Amino acid sequence: MLNLCAVHKSRGVGSQRYSLVIPALALRAGEQVAIVGPSGCGKSTLLDLLALVLAPDQVGQFEFHQQDIGGLWRADQQSALAALRSRHLGYVLQTGGLLGFLDVRGNIALPRQLLGLEDDGSVARLAEQLGISDQMGKPPAALSVGQRQRVSCARALAHAPQLVLADEPTASLDPLNAERVMQALLDRAREQRAACVIATHDEPLARASGLPVRRISCRRDADGGVTATLGEAC
Amino acid sequence: MRIALVASLAWQDYRRDAWLSACSVLALAAVIAPLLVLFGLKFGLVSSLTERLETDPATREIIPLGGGRFSSALIEQLGQRSDVSFAIPRTRQIAATAQVGARVLEMLPTAAGDPLLDGLPIPKGLDQIVLSHTAAERLAARPGDLLEARFARQVAGRVEEQRTRVQVLAVLPLEAFPRDGLFADLALLEAAEDYRDGGAVPALGWPGDEMSAVEQRVYPAFRLYARSLADVEPLRVYFAGQNLLVSTQANTIAQVQSLSRNLSIVFWIIAGLALAGAFAAMLAGALAAVARKRRELSVLRLLGFSTAALLLFVMVQALYSAGIAAVLSAGLYGLAETGLNRLFVQVPGEHASHLLARHYGVALVAVLGVSAVAAACGGWRVARIQASEGIRDV
Ligand SMILES: Nc1ncnc2c1ncn2[C@@H]1O[C@H](COP(=O)(O)OP(=O)(O)OP(=O)(O)O)[C@@H](O)[C@H]1O
Ligand SMILES: [Mg+2]
Repeated sequence: MLNLCAVHKSRGVGSQRYSLVIPALALRAGEQVAIVGPSGCGKSTLLDLLALVLAPDQVGQFEFHQQDIGGLWRADQQSALAALRSRHLGYVLQTGGLLGFLDVRGNIALPRQLLGLEDDGSVARLAEQLGISDQMGKPPAALSVGQRQRVSCARALAHAPQLVLADEPTASLDPLNAERVMQALLDRAREQRAACVIATHDEPLARASGLPVRRISCRRDADGGVTATLGEAC
Repeated sequence: MRIALVASLAWQDYRRDAWLSACSVLALAAVIAPLLVLFGLKFGLVSSLTERLETDPATREIIPLGGGRFSSALIEQLGQRSDVSFAIPRTRQIAATAQVGARVLEMLPTAAGDPLLDGLPIPKGLDQIVLSHTAAERLAARPGDLLEARFARQVAGRVEEQRTRVQVLAVLPLEAFPRDGLFADLALLEAAEDYRDGGAVPALGWPGDEMSAVEQRVYPAFRLYARSLADVEPLRVYFAGQNLLVSTQANTIAQVQSLSRNLSIVFWIIAGLALAGAFAAMLAGALAAVARKRRELSVLRLLGFSTAALLLFVMVQALYSAGIAAVLSAGLYGLAETGLNRLFVQVPGEHASHLLARHYGVALVAVLGVSAVAAACGGWRVARIQASEGIRDV
């Protein structure tokens, strides 16, 4: 379903250069993986690439849902990419990424509305599972950071996407809630047979949740720039 | 992407930014409302002036100068021209007066279609008349009264006089004819003309010489009214071509028309400059909105909004501002109209400031159109918004 091979992305130049190398990454439907690494190593960059919002520089192979993503980026097919994102992707942003002009319910329901899907009760069910049922009428600004992240998780799952990406979904939560939210996220993804990529710096939590862990390792190059490489599962 | 959903999302964002939205509405209303007032004044004053000209038949009257020789057939022909609303022969000066009571009244021929007698009964035959306002006042006569009209002549140094009873059918309003006058069927004037020429008038039983019936009557002048203001000048030119000097109000009409044209030009220059300014303001507003909403717009992009949908999002918000500003401006104009119409002294039925429903319609369409175009130009930058830029800081 998702298949990457020799994908490169560089940002900045000279000693400010940062390069991410993905030698290989393949995910089948329902497969789940955790990406770990220290802050600044490129977890968010990797997820942005997978979320089809960041254009890769070099592509050996980048296939998602039988589509050649590298080709779409080269041809600047923004609307095709947007359509893929809208239908098949759920992305929990590190910073929440909620829309301030919609209340919690509106935010969670929006991906379904954009696809023209009826509300089948999944919005309320997700809110229940993620413990935000009593926050539904509030604007995001009136939520705690942890609550915002849970709303963001609910939004990423609402339209039953095939690929769920989550960037530090539990970073702002206490250990108990962190485990609960991580479990809810993984359970729902499993239910929907969605592939799941979770970036976290909390390796023990990832392992406790039974996820295979892949590490991003950084190395400083001769020119002062940094090259980060996605390692194999360990 | 469904338009209704985009419009509803845009509305919710617009409402949350209520303060900024109110600012853009006020900025627009600050341009539109004064323009409406300006146009209302222009339209009100000009249409008052032209209405005044149009409702006063005297403006459309064409008066032949100097004596002519016209047959009744020729005058009838004139009356049938499409640019003439009414034409009737006038008898000679000799038959231009009648003595009624102690007063000498000017006599004018009239017939159906006379614009001076608009809406009043038309006197027919030899025994019906319509009095002017001042004449009726002086004679203390009212519609229905019977009066005695006297006609005097000198025959071989002897003064003779005949009288006939006439009924007052109606009294003209003051503004229709300001002098002492009497309107009657042409037959009564012709009778007076014949009698003063020394002839007999068998219809009234007045004695005198037998008038030869063979000779066709010749009239020295006529009463003639153009159909509309615009017909006055062409008729003047026509009569000049016939070697007939006429007096018209063509100058006054031309003055009002050129005043109206010049006021229109002034208005459109001001409106054009103001609209260009409003366009620039809206363009800047749209650019600022795109910059301000960059994070939200990039999240919408992440969720799958196409460029067209993002552009629509920005344009719909500009249309909301334009619509609200248009309604607000119409309200402000309504207040100004009431004030201005009270401020300017005026004749009843006329307005210093006045707008028609279609003016509001045109203003609304223009404001919406200009806003949409300005927002589209300014909002074009949304095409360059990448989801990856904004989502890092929301
Ligand atoms: N727009 C950009 N231009 C240049 N460099 C960037 C840009 N965005 C990120 N970087 C660099 O890319 C590297 C990876 O950033 P990224 O946000 O992916 O890290 P991360 O692993 O998600 O870190 P964290 O755990 O703190 O979220 C960082 O060194 C950052 O400085
Ligand atoms: Mg990150």
